[in-house]
Amino acid sequence: MSWTILRATLHQRRSSMSWFGVSLIAYSWMMVWFYPQIGGGQYADLVESLPPEMLQLFGGDVSFASLGGYFQTEYLGLMWMLIVTSAVLIYASRAFAGEIADGTMELLLSQPVSRVKLALTRVAGLVVYVLALAATTFVPIQLFGPTYDIELGAEKFWLLMALGTLFMLAVGGIGMLASSLFRSGGKASSLAAGILVLMWVSDLVANFSEFADFFGPVNLISSWQPGKIINDASAPAEVWWLYGIVALFSLVACVFVFMRRDVA
Amino acid sequence: MAAVIECAALTKFYGKSRGVEDLTLTVPEGMVFGFLGPNGAGKTTTIRCLLGMLKPTAGQVRLFGEEVQLDGASLRRKIGYVAGEVQAYEKETGRWHIDYVSGLRGGRGALTDELIERLEFDPGRRVKELSKGNKQKLALILGLMHDPDLLILDEPTSGLDPLNQETVFDIIQERVSGGATVFLSSHILSEVERVCERVGIIRNGTLVAEESMKSLLGKRLRELNVTFAGPVDVSFFDGIQGVTRVSVLSPATVNARVRGGDLDALIKRLAGKPIVDLSIEHASLEEVFMEFYREDGAAADVASAEGSVGR
Repeated sequence: MSWTILRATLHQRRSSMSWFGVSLIAYSWMMVWFYPQIGGGQYADLVESLPPEMLQLFGGDVSFASLGGYFQTEYLGLMWMLIVTSAVLIYASRAFAGEIADGTMELLLSQPVSRVKLALTRVAGLVVYVLALAATTFVPIQLFGPTYDIELGAEKFWLLMALGTLFMLAVGGIGMLASSLFRSGGKASSLAAGILVLMWVSDLVANFSEFADFFGPVNLISSWQPGKIINDASAPAEVWWLYGIVALFSLVACVFVFMRRDVA
Repeated sequence: MAAVIECAALTKFYGKSRGVEDLTLTVPEGMVFGFLGPNGAGKTTTIRCLLGMLKPTAGQVRLFGEEVQLDGASLRRKIGYVAGEVQAYEKETGRWHIDYVSGLRGGRGALTDELIERLEFDPGRRVKELSKGNKQKLALILGLMHDPDLLILDEPTSGLDPLNQETVFDIIQERVSGGATVFLSSHILSEVERVCERVGIIRNGTLVAEESMKSLLGKRLRELNVTFAGPVDVSFFDGIQGVTRVSVLSPATVNARVRGGDLDALIKRLAGKPIVDLSIEHASLEEVFMEFYREDGAAADVASAEGSVGR
């Protein structure tokens, strides 16, 4: 890994990292602040009365009346996935394809830097980026929570941090793999986003027809259930395996593909 | 003298379209080699194969005796590359780029400050604020600041004003005097003439000739336009060495194509009549190709050229 490239990579993403970070901190704080007024009570009853398909749309199959259900429906379900998926796909699309399209990869590869070192550094940059997104999401909940009678506890906090990070790495890995295959950042992010949207739609439609759930247990979107972690302090082992394997496979594959492809 | 660049039957196809085909050339140490060809001829593809950015479809590329690998890095330590179309990080400054490349090369280049001064480059400005010429200066600084053993220059003076072009040629010649080898790609004949000892001529992905600069200069084409004080007959140009075509533009104005490096006979003949106006222009590279390196690569001149590898 090259520290020079890692520093430069993060330096170039400083604007997007700042915007996403500040937005996530603000969103987390707002959700914590609203919980005493929304969680439980009449609003909860209203949400609970919605059809399950509608609740599913927001990524919730946990009771809204619970703390976990509130966070999953209002924030950490669909909305959070949308925000962090956008962030990591923007990073991933630029990591290889975007730089090839802009021509800046030529500047890099005319220097004495091996492709494997460059690719591994871009993967390391993704890890740093994802950790920053996880921290700006979950640390404010842990930090501001007690002021509004929300006590997550260390175990739930670290579970959310770890599984959230792994989820983003899996999504980012798919984006990086697409980025290593294409010459255009737009094509790479469209492919990765298309796969994820397909997973989400497949999960939604599966409420009406089991036939539609063709991703089944490997659906990254439906496997993300932060409400259950908040309520039960546990996450199924198969979800850890799924995110871990997808992240590892796709990130190793992107390094492998980038080492062997034409860069022009 | 040891070969710095060796291409053996280098072939690169992009799917079905040809980049370069069966290109064989050798550049010995200390030589300034011109790689001449029109836009789209395959010059940049060849350079990208030299730098390990593209994997050849067939053939072999060796630099300093080592085979070029896609993942190789050590060879690039000895190479300074200036791309034809300068691409840099738009939001960053020239200084940021210099520091970045210095970091990748393990230290600030010995020539950095000298190049900044000689090219009159302002490193504090962001790339997006730079003109094409200033971007080119940045690319030259990044490519040359580490005093590399091999300079690979793709249209290095594109966008530069004549004064800066002179500075760049001076720098190139100083580096050559210091022992560097130069591979200069261009579609501008005069640029190659200025510094190169030997040239390879590429067209449609194929090397049509490799010859000395002297031999290439013998193939120079000039367009002469002369207006005499009074009407002149075409026969006035009969028998002048190098004149290949004469057209009458008006009773007193004649256009003539002159082939070869010697204008002496023509000038002496013209001096015999009063002249109102005279212009002599170098023909474009494309016209030189049309005249000497026809599509089939079988032009007689090529076959007889000194050291020719006409194909």
